[in-house]
Amino acid sequence: MCLIQRLLIGLLMCSMLIFSACKPTTSSFAPINKASSRPEIVFAISQAPLNLDPRYASDAASERLNRLLYQSLVDFDIHTKPQPSLATWQQLSPLSYRFTLNEKRRPFYYPPGAGRKAKARKLTAYDVKATYDSITAFTDSPHSAEFSNLKNIVVFDERTVLFHLILPDRHFPAKLVLGILPAELVKIKHDFAHNPIGSGPLVLHDSHNKLRLQRLDDGQRISLIEVKDPTVRMLKLVHAEVDMIQGDLPPESLSYLQSKPTLTVKTSVGVNFSYLGLNMQDPQLKKLKVRQALAHAIDRQAIIDKVMLRHSRLGGAILPPEHYAQRQTLDAYAYDPPLARRLLQEAGVRLPLKLVYKTSTDAQRLRLATIMQAQMRVAGIDLEIRSLDWATFFAEIKQGNFQLYGLTWVGVKTPEIYGQAFASDSLPPKGFNRGRYQDAELDKLLSTADWRAVTQRIHQQLPYIPLWYEGQFAAMQKGIQNYSPKADGNWDDLATISAYAH
Amino acid sequence: MIKRVLSFCTVVFGVLSLTFLLIHLVPGDPVEVMLGESASTADREVLRAELGLNQSVASQFGLYLSRLAHADFGVSIHSKTPIIDLIKNRYPATLKLALLALLIGVGVGVPLGIYAALKAGHWQDLLVTIVSVRLSAMPAFWLGPMLMLIFAVWLAILPVSGMDSPSSIILPALTLGFGLSAILTRMTRTSLLEVLNEDFIRTARAKGLTERQVILRHALRAALLPIITIVGLQMGSLLAGTVITETIFSWDGIGRLLVESIEKRDYPVTQACVLLVALSYVVVNVLTDLLYRLADPRIRLGH
Repeated sequence: MCLIQRLLIGLLMCSMLIFSACKPTTSSFAPINKASSRPEIVFAISQAPLNLDPRYASDAASERLNRLLYQSLVDFDIHTKPQPSLATWQQLSPLSYRFTLNEKRRPFYYPPGAGRKAKARKLTAYDVKATYDSITAFTDSPHSAEFSNLKNIVVFDERTVLFHLILPDRHFPAKLVLGILPAELVKIKHDFAHNPIGSGPLVLHDSHNKLRLQRLDDGQRISLIEVKDPTVRMLKLVHAEVDMIQGDLPPESLSYLQSKPTLTVKTSVGVNFSYLGLNMQDPQLKKLKVRQALAHAIDRQAIIDKVMLRHSRLGGAILPPEHYAQRQTLDAYAYDPPLARRLLQEAGVRLPLKLVYKTSTDAQRLRLATIMQAQMRVAGIDLEIRSLDWATFFAEIKQGNFQLYGLTWVGVKTPEIYGQAFASDSLPPKGFNRGRYQDAELDKLLSTADWRAVTQRIHQQLPYIPLWYEGQFAAMQKGIQNYSPKADGNWDDLATISAYAH
Repeated sequence: MIKRVLSFCTVVFGVLSLTFLLIHLVPGDPVEVMLGESASTADREVLRAELGLNQSVASQFGLYLSRLAHADFGVSIHSKTPIIDLIKNRYPATLKLALLALLIGVGVGVPLGIYAALKAGHWQDLLVTIVSVRLSAMPAFWLGPMLMLIFAVWLAILPVSGMDSPSSIILPALTLGFGLSAILTRMTRTSLLEVLNEDFIRTARAKGLTERQVILRHALRAALLPIITIVGLQMGSLLAGTVITETIFSWDGIGRLLVESIEKRDYPVTQACVLLVALSYVVVNVLTDLLYRLADPRIRLGH
């Protein structure tokens, strides 16, 4: 046999090996409560959840999924006011809170074959204590710092638990949003990150290649698959390989999806606030007139109308107007390049003012940056764009190594954010005052918790340039029902979503 | 053989130390990523000590090497998953994709190259050259979505992406294989054309061998060395994980794992992935050397 023939035979054998390795995976999906004939719903997401242990999860996808796998003591109403979920509460003193578990709590679900004789049992105050005690004991949890003010947790009875604080914290209930875990599994250091066991409406069935979930009430199966590329995610929806997608698509793709008769596109307002961060130690940017000039040099409304999703809206402050602590509409800085130019000249700036704008490598962020660059040029501002990988970009921001940067506040619930982001004593690493803003007047207002006055002061002093709250959307096959995008992008409707064969 | 083992160890050690140094030089701190901005300085320091990040880079490297000697790759800083499990899940996927892409590349590129060489100067040669140049100029981030559009959306005969069905591998393999086949077509054509002018080919023809025998037994065998070199190099890159193709097609391979770990500053995962990639390159090089020996018995290892 000659060498060429041997090579060809080798290649043939290789191909056979490859294809034999590509056997279709058989689903181990078994209905939990009821035999379910419902079609599986496949949800394509841009980033898979990183950690299903609520004590460690900090990425958006994990937090969204954990809301469905576990139950928490507290949730929020439409005005982002903390409201009872698993428990009602009472402030006994400035340093102690009593939480009483209600009947909404569901039993923990232990999957068959978990290797234990656990019987389904309702969540108790002991589980609450075990969960929060374990968080405070961790050294590597992103949530530990939030509970550093916790002195101790005392179980009063099966349904009642007392939280004692070191210092008064009027926003403490708003922090109790982490999923509650079964105490006996916390004790044995169960791997919740990969085998979550909670009392939420969904359970994780399998996590090989994709996350297969099942709804406990009716056996509805839901799969989450990660598809990073936005174009591919869109094509998979068009090709009906997936049933729905949500967020992270350029607006023109959304228009394309809206033109498809087999698809439904739903949009809603968003609450995540985008802004331009400014370095207040920069000799030019520390001048108020320069900051005002920047605010007048960007045509936000045109950007929203042309390159953003429907339902995107102008932003005035970190918390949206409907937030209970906000409840006011701030006057937007109008697009006025001549005024911006005049303000710069009044500030004694030689035109063009050269500034460096740092952003991530995200395509949509870069696109927005180039639009702002073009708009600012008219006002006499020469913006240089530098895009960096996320970790480098964020490290530079925290070190104060920037003039301007673009970021978005995601998932902010309490007005405490104003103190963390702008108080003089909140410079990194202690807080989020990345712009190194120092304002005695604002510090005084923050100490009185007069949030209306605080936001007015920030809006007037412009330690950042407010941009917008980006809208949310979900696109799905016509057969998908009972799902709508939410303002904060959560996936809560997976608890009620349904599909009929199409 | 000893020389080869020594060079193997030097390469791996060089890659390990360089990666270790570089990853500690780039901005971004895993402790910051893990704990977020609200963590206290004390908490950061405790975690830094737990992860061994408060030690000098040299001590950290020493510790890393000693763990590695016990085949302990550690756990991912973020997902807490043992790295060996991550690699076990991801590497076979990359291996499958690389082998199929190689199969397509060789299966299409070599015969086309032979055909072009035999038709040198004719329109067929020109056509093959134009097609191969065009193919080699198509980047994966363009070719991939185009293939998706044609085969998955318009013709609806293949899945857009993912790893759910056996046919899911076809489009990513074609994306990689087409590029490789273009290079191999050009290389085979050039190499074969050179050989076809050699005296021993004239002798073979004079002996009365058929043209098929002359090409397959004599000419192609002699032209194989540069082709093997290219195949070896390309296989090395394919095994390093073709990040763009894996990302476009949602193929959970080692390339995606590596890039994700760099983005999250997951040092242990990055180091394990780079080590694996380096080992893959070394193994492919050894295999390439063995193939040289097979193709040309005059070549002996170490000479």
